[in-house]
Amino acid sequence: MQKIMIIEDDPPIREELTLLLRNEGYLPFPVTDFNDIPAQAVRECPDLILLDIGLPGRDGFSLCAALQKSVSASVIFVTSRDAGMDEVRALSLGGDDYITKPYSVPVLLARIKAVLRRSCGGPEPADVLEAGELCLSLTKGTVSAGGKAVDLTRNELQILACLMTRFGQIVSRADLIDALWDNQIYIDDNTLSVNMTRLRGKLAKIGLPDAIRTRRGMGYQL
Amino acid sequence: MTVREFLSDRLSRIALQLICAGLAMLFLYATGTQSGVLVILLLFLLMIFAAVQLCDFFRQRTYFRELEAILEGLDRKYLFTECTPPPKGLYERQLFDLTRRAGQAMIGAVSDAQALQREYREYVERWVHEIKAPITAARLICRDLDGNTRRKLTAELAQIEAHVERALFYARAENPEQDCLLRQADLGEIAAQAIENHRFLLIQSGVRVETGGLERTVYTDEKWAVFILGQLLQNAARYRGTEPIITLSAKSLGKQIQLIVQDNGIGIPSHELPRVFDRGFTGSNGRMRGGSTGMGLYLCRKLASFLELDLRIVSREGEGTAVTLTFPAKENLTKM
Repeated sequence: MQKIMIIEDDPPIREELTLLLRNEGYLPFPVTDFNDIPAQAVRECPDLILLDIGLPGRDGFSLCAALQKSVSASVIFVTSRDAGMDEVRALSLGGDDYITKPYSVPVLLARIKAVLRRSCGGPEPADVLEAGELCLSLTKGTVSAGGKAVDLTRNELQILACLMTRFGQIVSRADLIDALWDNQIYIDDNTLSVNMTRLRGKLAKIGLPDAIRTRRGMGYQL
Repeated sequence: MTVREFLSDRLSRIALQLICAGLAMLFLYATGTQSGVLVILLLFLLMIFAAVQLCDFFRQRTYFRELEAILEGLDRKYLFTECTPPPKGLYERQLFDLTRRAGQAMIGAVSDAQALQREYREYVERWVHEIKAPITAARLICRDLDGNTRRKLTAELAQIEAHVERALFYARAENPEQDCLLRQADLGEIAAQAIENHRFLLIQSGVRVETGGLERTVYTDEKWAVFILGQLLQNAARYRGTEPIITLSAKSLGKQIQLIVQDNGIGIPSHELPRVFDRGFTGSNGRMRGGSTGMGLYLCRKLASFLELDLRIVSREGEGTAVTLTFPAKENLTKM
């Protein structure tokens, strides 16, 4: 499990981040004592440090320099200031990424994942998702059940992955669209319907025509 | 200052001189001076008077021109009395002193007001940064809620964020020099960032976003451009029709780049169109829908003028609105 050190002075954010990261399968270490953070970092030896720039008493930038000297962890700066100079300074000081508050949870998680993958070459994210009879291979882009497999397009893959990770729960259309939205590709309601129909067609080919249930007015359920 | 103005100002003095000269002539004539001598004497006197007046006229005119030049060259005109050499005459010097004292009082008042304004701006900026912490916390906490409540609360949080963002840019627009940095930027990235910032509103409004031909380089401040575009996207999503579509497209116009944000929303009545950029103008759509601040487009125009960005809006009621942003060519930028 990868260890993430959370250096954040706002208690609610710190607690929620700890919860969030634990749920996501990381090992969070929230810092509560802001004296001699580098020593704590040496003791804990984290893979990644989430560092708030606006800390009480000490400037996040100088702290970053001290941290870089003592441990080899990657650093993601988190800040509520969005002045362009801060970003340049953060990255030139050896930060691996820079996120401004208020960030959205998926964006934060994606950045953490990307930085961890880049720095430690860490374990690839789960390649295979399994739920019920379905088995989804994310890298190959195929779904299989009962020995039969079928190829999926990017959107179909995303939809199915989203439904599978929340197996048994109702996923609203808005949440599905949210999962499909990506840079430059903006999915709307109609596209979702089309993709859903195709996905069901493909699932029917491998013998699961009714795998995805429509819950009227609420969303979809696997 | 013309000769006529000068003469009419000096009228009493000149009249007095003439009367005195006349009286002197009468006296000399009565005491038996020859009339030939009198004429020469009179001519001589008149010449001296005229020469003195002329000299005065030119001296004053040069002095005033000098003052004009000083005022012209001043960035802050109210510092005028601090930058001019005091006049030589006693009367003028006293007047000048009075004016200077009044001027100093005003300089004090102005700098106090500026300091207050700067402090206020700094406070707003700090406040905006501080409020972001609880918004972030609230977003993280939202995650644990069930679907419907989460969606509603996230929508409200997005609203709060949009208001906070406007407050920040309102404060920044007062002293744009401090934040605005014009440089090369990618239009596609600006659009993607603006869409990402308002992702929640757009998805919840069921808007279809179409982009095309945005792979271009523009010269602008990225953050400000993202903000402006964000305001336009919010408006398009807010005043949407059925099956809303927002299209972002770009084209070249000589060396300039035009970005067109087109929607198929409810449109703006033509008689309200000239006023949409006015501060606090909400219009019939805004009043009907509620929640309109009348600040979005006002700020857009204010920031756009600093980015040397041309902002035009055309709209048809019931058909939609198109906003055209014309980014300046690199050569035309004065602030690069």
